Amino acid sequence: MKRADVIEIVATSTQCDDVIVATTGLISRELFERFDSERNVYIPGSMGLVSSVGLGIALCDTNHRVVIIDGDASLLMNLGSMVTIGSRRPKNLLHIVLDNGAYASCSEESSMSGTANFGLLAKDVGYKYTATVGDREALKRAILSFKGGPGFLSAITELGGRRDFRRPQKLKEIKRRFMRFMSRQPKGKI
Amino acid sequence: MKTKDRQAFNALNGKGSERADRLHRFLMESGFDFATGVPCGVLKHIIANLVGDKRVCHVPANRESEAIGLAAGAYLAGKKPLVYMQNSGLFAASNDIASLLVPYGIPALMLISYRGCEGEDAVQHLTTGHATENLIRSFNLPYEVFDGRKRDINACVSVLIGLMTERELPAILLLKRGWYV
Ligand SMILES: Cc1ncc(C[n+]2csc(CCOP(=O)(O)OP(=O)(O)O)c2C)c(N)n1
Ligand SMILES: [Mg+2]
Repeated sequence: MKRADVIEIVATSTQCDDVIVATTGLISRELFERFDSERNVYIPGSMGLVSSVGLGIALCDTNHRVVIIDGDASLLMNLGSMVTIGSRRPKNLLHIVLDNGAYASCSEESSMSGTANFGLLAKDVGYKYTATVGDREALKRAILSFKGGPGFLSAITELGGRRDFRRPQKLKEIKRRFMRFMSRQPKGKI
Repeated sequence: MKTKDRQAFNALNGKGSERADRLHRFLMESGFDFATGVPCGVLKHIIANLVGDKRVCHVPANRESEAIGLAAGAYLAGKKPLVYMQNSGLFAASNDIASLLVPYGIPALMLISYRGCEGEDAVQHLTTGHATENLIRSFNLPYEVFDGRKRDINACVSVLIGLMTERELPAILLLKRGWYV
C-alpha cells in the first residue's frame, strides 16, 4: 500500500460530514491536490500538531467525526498527544498514522517507528479501538467498522510515489470555508 | 528575592486574588469558553478559576505546542480559546504560533507569565526573559505587559481582544510575578 492508496481510501471511505485533518508534508499536499474539500484541514507547518488540532475539534464539536491522518515521524514528535487523547477519550476521533518508517517528505531518511509499537501504545494510554493494516481492503474495512473512539489505525505504507503536489497556500480561506462547513449543523454537547 | 517573598511565591495554598477573579469575570463576559495550557505558579489563580468554571471546556496539555494545536482546533470548531503558559513555553511553542496560528489567522488570547525580569532568582529564566518581548515583536503580535501597578488588567485585555479580532492574530498578555496582588 502506498501513500496514494491511504489518502484515497481515507477520503472515500469516510462519511461526507467527517472532518479530515492531515499532517505536515506530502500527506497534506496529496490530500489537498487530489481530494480538497471544505471538510479538510491541512497542517503544513507545526509538525506533530495534527493530532492536537484534531482533538481540539473533536472535543468542541461532537456532531462530527474527526479523522486524523498523521505521519509516523510527526506522531513521534508529539507522542504526548496520544496520552491527552487517551485521557479525554473522544468517541468521535479516529487517529490514523501513515507509517512508512521514514521522513518521506524530506529525503526518506529513516524514522524510529520501526522499534515502536504504536498500536500497543495507543491501547495502553486509553484508545478504545486499535488496528494495524497493511493493504487497501483492510484499511477500508477498519475505517468502515470504526464505531466508537478514540480509535487508532496504523497503516503500514511503502515509500515512493508522486512528490510534486501543490501546497495549500490560502490558509485563511481554508479556515473560513471549514468554519462555514462546521456551522451548518447544530453543535453537539461537550 | 527576600526570604519572605520566596516563601510567599512558592506557597501552595496562598490567598485568592481579587484581581484574578475580576479578570476571570471579564474573560467570561468576553465569551472565552475554551482553555488549554501548561501551568506556571504565577498563573495559579487564573488556572484555578478556569478549572472551576463549568462554562469553560478546559483541556490541559503536556507541552505548550500541544496547547497551540488544541486551541487552533477549538477555534476551528467555533470556540473562543485561551492559552496559558510560562514564557519559557512561548519559546518551546514559537514555531507553532508562527506556522499555525499566524497563517491560519487564529485569534487565541495567550496569558503568559513573564519570568526572567528584574529580581529573578532562577537563572534558567534569564535568557528567555531577556528575549521574550523581542520574540513577540519580531512576530508582529499584539501584546501588553502587566505587572500589577498603574494600569487596569481588564483594560489591557480589552485592547488585546480588539487587536486580535481585527488583525486575526493571537495576542499575548505578559504577566509579571506579583501581578495579582
Ligand atoms: C518542526 C519541523 N521540523 C522539520 C520539518 C521538516 N519536515 C517536513 S515533513 C517532515 C517529515 C514528516 O515525516 P512523517 O510525519 O513520517 O510523514 P511522511 O513525510 O513520511 O509522509 C519533516 C521532517 C518541519 N516541517 N517542521
Ligand atoms: Mg513517515
